[in-house]
Amino acid sequence: MNASKTPGLIRERQERMAPYLLIAPAVIYYAIFWLFPVLNAISGSFLSAPLKQGGEWTLKNYAAVFTDSMFYRALINTAIIVVVSVSLEFVLAFALALLINKKFRGSSLFLFLAIIPMSLPAVAVGAMWNSGLATNGWLNSALVHLGILGEAEKIPFLAGGQGANILLIILVDAWQVIPFMMIILLSGMQGLKPEMAEAGRVFGGTRWQVLHKITIPMLKQTIVTAMILRIIAAIQIWLIIVMIFGFNRLPVLMEQIVVNVDLYTAETFFRKGMALSVLVALIVSLASVAYLKASGALGAKKEEAS
Amino acid sequence: MTTLTLTNLAKRYSRSVWGVRSMSLDVKDKEFVVFLGPSGCGKTTCMRMIAGLETVTRGRIILKGQDITDLPPKDRGVSMVFQNYAIWPHMNVYDNIAFALRLKNVDRKELNQRVKKVAQMVRIEPLLKRFPGQMSGGQQQRVALARALAVEPRLFLMDEPLSNLDAKLRVSMRTELKTIHQESGATSIFVTHDQSEAMSMADRIVIMKDGEIVQTGTPEEVYFQSANTFVAGFIGTPPANFFPVEWKNGKLEHPRFQLSPPPALHQAIENHGKNRLILGVRPESIQVVREEEALFIAPVLVVEPQGSHQIVAVQVEDEVVKLIMPPACGVQPGELLPLTFDSTRLHLFDEESQLRIPGY
Repeated sequence: MNASKTPGLIRERQERMAPYLLIAPAVIYYAIFWLFPVLNAISGSFLSAPLKQGGEWTLKNYAAVFTDSMFYRALINTAIIVVVSVSLEFVLAFALALLINKKFRGSSLFLFLAIIPMSLPAVAVGAMWNSGLATNGWLNSALVHLGILGEAEKIPFLAGGQGANILLIILVDAWQVIPFMMIILLSGMQGLKPEMAEAGRVFGGTRWQVLHKITIPMLKQTIVTAMILRIIAAIQIWLIIVMIFGFNRLPVLMEQIVVNVDLYTAETFFRKGMALSVLVALIVSLASVAYLKASGALGAKKEEAS
Repeated sequence: MTTLTLTNLAKRYSRSVWGVRSMSLDVKDKEFVVFLGPSGCGKTTCMRMIAGLETVTRGRIILKGQDITDLPPKDRGVSMVFQNYAIWPHMNVYDNIAFALRLKNVDRKELNQRVKKVAQMVRIEPLLKRFPGQMSGGQQQRVALARALAVEPRLFLMDEPLSNLDAKLRVSMRTELKTIHQESGATSIFVTHDQSEAMSMADRIVIMKDGEIVQTGTPEEVYFQSANTFVAGFIGTPPANFFPVEWKNGKLEHPRFQLSPPPALHQAIENHGKNRLILGVRPESIQVVREEEALFIAPVLVVEPQGSHQIVAVQVEDEVVKLIMPPACGVQPGELLPLTFDSTRLHLFDEESQLRIPGY
């Protein structure tokens, strides 16, 4: 009896261990390539110099960030870009996805054309719009060529004030990012059975009511996913801005990290950049959690109300 | 009184693809009409045009004297049960049923009463707070029914509502649907491809094929007076058997038998004036007799017991012919059965047109 029981126990133990063995490589990978650098960056932001070179624990790096007026400008600019561009992108992407989901003649060609901007890297988009928006750039040339503008009426797109610059960035960002959002929303829509909306129409809904009461609530998971991805990406916008305006003209959070870490060589700036990057990581996490909370709570309320 | 009138209703999807070619039909008040046909015959398309979910290429739809051909679905006063239920997963049962009433601004008290009433009718009262994800297919189907009944529609549409249920539930839901129809008195159109479902539920069956109506009639009419070989071969469990025959010297001649039809049928064949015919015989009209009375003798291929009766397949020339025999009659495969036909229950069709010859 013992002879038959012991191998059984061993097998049971092996089976219990199996999941841990299977996830072990992933855990080790994360520890080495993710957790270690993150902890390193966080501790680095509280040091005046590397410990080996006699660095001391300090809050000066954070003080430097919070006393820098550029940080506040960057924070406000980033907030504006996130709120306005994500809202704008969501509305336009949703409308486009609805349109393409109708499967009209040529809708697949339209989809193909619509996703071209998504395939371009941010550097290319920045370079393209930089040359396009310059006073003698291709956009003005095209407008003059088409007779919409006179030679003397060329618009100095890039010479506007802060507000105009932000608007320009939002438009360029939207141009590139809408396809991304549209594809996520479209895939969500294609997962809905058409009968769900049809039932809404038969049972007295106008197209708008069906959209509002059936399609959008049923797409909630997709919308939350798309929004989270976009909010995180929008907080981290910088390359397009630098490609179009250069450094320090339209300060945003990520751009300021690059400015401090890369542009200036002194150790203090490098440390300040580290502090800033920890803050940005914190902001991104908080924004994501806040959005998840808000959308979850909104959804629960809606279910009660309707 | 007529509730619904379809005149030359047609739907074309593209230049050469027709969903419905031409449909004209009157549905009377409180009638339960079943659209029956194989898949692709246009029955669902027709129903969707009535609901307003499909645009109409040609023809008119008149509901209670009002032309609804071009109205949006919400203004038609119809309700619908979908094949895959289509109840909304983000709303609980109560909200699903109340959806249409809320959009119509029915006041709170009446709304509550109506939801309770239909929930009682389809027996889902204890489930009102549940979400669809927590219910079985049969329960979801009941919710879809309740939702459709709650609006007290002018016309009640059902698109294969039972085909996603398991076999046992399907049969019991038939009875229940019929009871609900009798209680609510709603004029109903029911789409199905299952002829036994159609036979058991319909006041009138509309049999469709290739986008056109083949025959309209009560279950008895389509069974005993099938308009053509398609109907005779579609209706019945199992459907009718066919024998190609020739009209010669007052007899129907088949390679295996010669049959003298009764006088009325004789006259009808003479009047029709064509020789190449198809004889249709329902399985229960084939009788096993003593050898000397037999029209022909055929070997048994397969015996399918059904409990109350059994279906016996025999071979006649190259064809499999099915007949119904009482249970436990001890017939074995390979056995030779002497058979004859009940001559009062014969169907005759023109071979060329496949249509029933008239006048008997």
